[in-house]
Amino acid sequence: MAEKVSVQHNCDHYDRERHPHLRKRKYGGQEVDAVIVGLGAAGGVLLYELAKAGLSVVGIEAGPFWDPQTDFASDELHAQSLAWNDTRLSTGQNALQFGANNSGRGVGGGTVHFTGVFYRFHESDFRVRTLDGAAEDWPITYADLAPYYAKIEEEIKVSGPREFPWGAFHGPYPYPERSPISGNAEIFRRGCAALGIRSTVAPLAILSAPFDGRPPCINRGFCNQGCLPNAKFSTLIHHVPKAIGLGAEVLTDCMVTRILVDKGGRVTGVEFNHDGQFYAQKAKVVIVSAFAVETPRLLLNSACSQFPEGLANSSGLVGKYLMPHSGHDVYARFDQEIRLYKGTPVLAVSQDFYETDLSRGFIRGYSLHAHGARPVGMAVKAATNAGIWGKKLREIMLHWNFYARITLVGEVLPEATNCVTLSEEKDEYGLPRAQVHFAYGENDQKLIAHGIQKCQEILAAAGGRDAFVVPDSAHLMGGCRMGKDPSTSVVNEFCRSHDIPNLYICDASVFVTSGAANPTETVMALAARTADQIIAQGKR
Amino acid sequence: MGLESLYPDYDVLALQDEWDANTRQIVKQRLGPFEFKLLSHWQQGMIKALARQLACEGRDEVLTWIAFHVETELGKPQGEAQRKPGIPPRKELILAGLDALDNWAKAKFFKGFLSLKEAQQLEFLQLLEVGGLPQEEGWDVERQKELFKKLAGLVITAHYSHPWVWSEIGYGGPAYPRGYVRVELGLVDPWEPKQAEWS
Repeated sequence: MAEKVSVQHNCDHYDRERHPHLRKRKYGGQEVDAVIVGLGAAGGVLLYELAKAGLSVVGIEAGPFWDPQTDFASDELHAQSLAWNDTRLSTGQNALQFGANNSGRGVGGGTVHFTGVFYRFHESDFRVRTLDGAAEDWPITYADLAPYYAKIEEEIKVSGPREFPWGAFHGPYPYPERSPISGNAEIFRRGCAALGIRSTVAPLAILSAPFDGRPPCINRGFCNQGCLPNAKFSTLIHHVPKAIGLGAEVLTDCMVTRILVDKGGRVTGVEFNHDGQFYAQKAKVVIVSAFAVETPRLLLNSACSQFPEGLANSSGLVGKYLMPHSGHDVYARFDQEIRLYKGTPVLAVSQDFYETDLSRGFIRGYSLHAHGARPVGMAVKAATNAGIWGKKLREIMLHWNFYARITLVGEVLPEATNCVTLSEEKDEYGLPRAQVHFAYGENDQKLIAHGIQKCQEILAAAGGRDAFVVPDSAHLMGGCRMGKDPSTSVVNEFCRSHDIPNLYICDASVFVTSGAANPTETVMALAARTADQIIAQGKR
Repeated sequence: MGLESLYPDYDVLALQDEWDANTRQIVKQRLGPFEFKLLSHWQQGMIKALARQLACEGRDEVLTWIAFHVETELGKPQGEAQRKPGIPPRKELILAGLDALDNWAKAKFFKGFLSLKEAQQLEFLQLLEVGGLPQEEGWDVERQKELFKKLAGLVITAHYSHPWVWSEIGYGGPAYPRGYVRVELGLVDPWEPKQAEWS
């Protein structure tokens, strides 16, 4: 076998210093203003905003500091290394799949392999209890997040349509919409038009024109495998390098194993492991941004005599109300070539079924995406999730250029029984592995059935036939939900834990409901808002 | 049903000079040669026999790559993303599963799995998928289904990562730094796979 591709990763990064060891730390022995656990969508924004405000800040990331040019490849199998593959025990009627399905490892986290679909939540998403009598209201409204949505969109130059027909924001976006669109997106739009369903080009965190030394998209189609030209935004290439330029220190390949607590019940920093050795980083404020499974897991694994049930867990809700999106894929065959591999995967969308319409027999709704595919992704999910393998799969794949695909992003209502807990099994650090339980509720199932039916109608209206459905899910939200009442939520409206005043939890785990939109923009807007609050607190 | 390629003249490997060096090296490793360290000769044979059915693939070179991919994954220290409680870790599950399939074959047909006819091997996999094989020595319905899922996931991932298969299905393959200029419905770049005239 040929020599293995090996890449040297440094683990300590600051002020043009990069070291493969931790012996020349910038903030090693010091108490910093803030330490951030996890440098994904939320952690990247927080690191940047806090450093920009002049705070001393250390970001600690379990995975590597990727270099797109040497670590990414135009290859689906190779891209599996970008995912958080640590084993989670997965249970329940609809046991979730993890790894590349929803979580990232390394600087940038999930933004390294997300599709770049960049939505604001709708006003109704924050008021589901009031409007639909289910779930809970968020402690904030759309209006609280609107300025932060705008700020993030402007900062990374989101491209989008001139007129976005749904929700509270109708455009314009900072950069023009992507053009041209792919064959698959065109088929979707034709099918929608035939049925009187509105569709638009997708709002995307992917450049349609040059920005900040980065080129516009070349339609290579490997968004989920890591963008090589850097046309797609990630916190790996945007926020984190800028934060380092502003004075932040970034530690990578460092797994945070425990949040440290003093006798008075305040957090004092974190313990982390690098290369088998344990270290500590002291901080005035600890921010956990480790995503919807690892965040609750770290809080629960940090149980101590002051907090025997885990940190920030007086409500008993740490880990509860976890939500994915239902993400079923519907494929149909056409007489002409569609070529799912070409172009940005999601270039056309519809949110015509986003809001509650009781005549459908369920509350809340879904987004629909024309969604490209690559051979491994399409074939593996068909085999493992839809029972299509052997001769049947081979026949489909030999004609795969003739298939179009629509993907559902369906809202899932929160249930306390869908949760992250600690298992009996330990990982390599001796910490209990996360166990995740998930089952769809009745409303979720009705919503999925409606969405699948709609996908089939759109594909048929565009000339598709022989449709097949591959059940799937996407994204994770909840587990440390925000709220006004400390007995029914984990953090307040600024993502500060109710129980410990200098502990913040800021990532998708604070979501109260899932919405029916890809969550990344809302995660980043929440992070920017939380950063403002932490900075204001520091000045007081 | 058509099991022939619609793109018989297309060879994705002929485009490799247009790929970035990292991708080129990664993809070419799938052509071998392979040095097996973990799987025995018999275990390799079992994986290849199962992959022959799961992927509907007959070429020994591709099947050997699939077996090598399974070996590589089973040897990795990283996790397996998710596992059901009570199910053994992936490596243990799959290696024990190969023995179990052989034992089931011996119990039913009085010969080892590799000596069965292909139709019989296929039938075993169809039963395994739904947990329909004898429930003995811990192989309950759930464990059988998980074995099928983990095996199918590894095998199909490897199969559709082989450049010969990319050529066959008309996949453009790696596209950096070139990208695509013509993405609209019905348009193709000059180098992309095109259907043979007669098809």
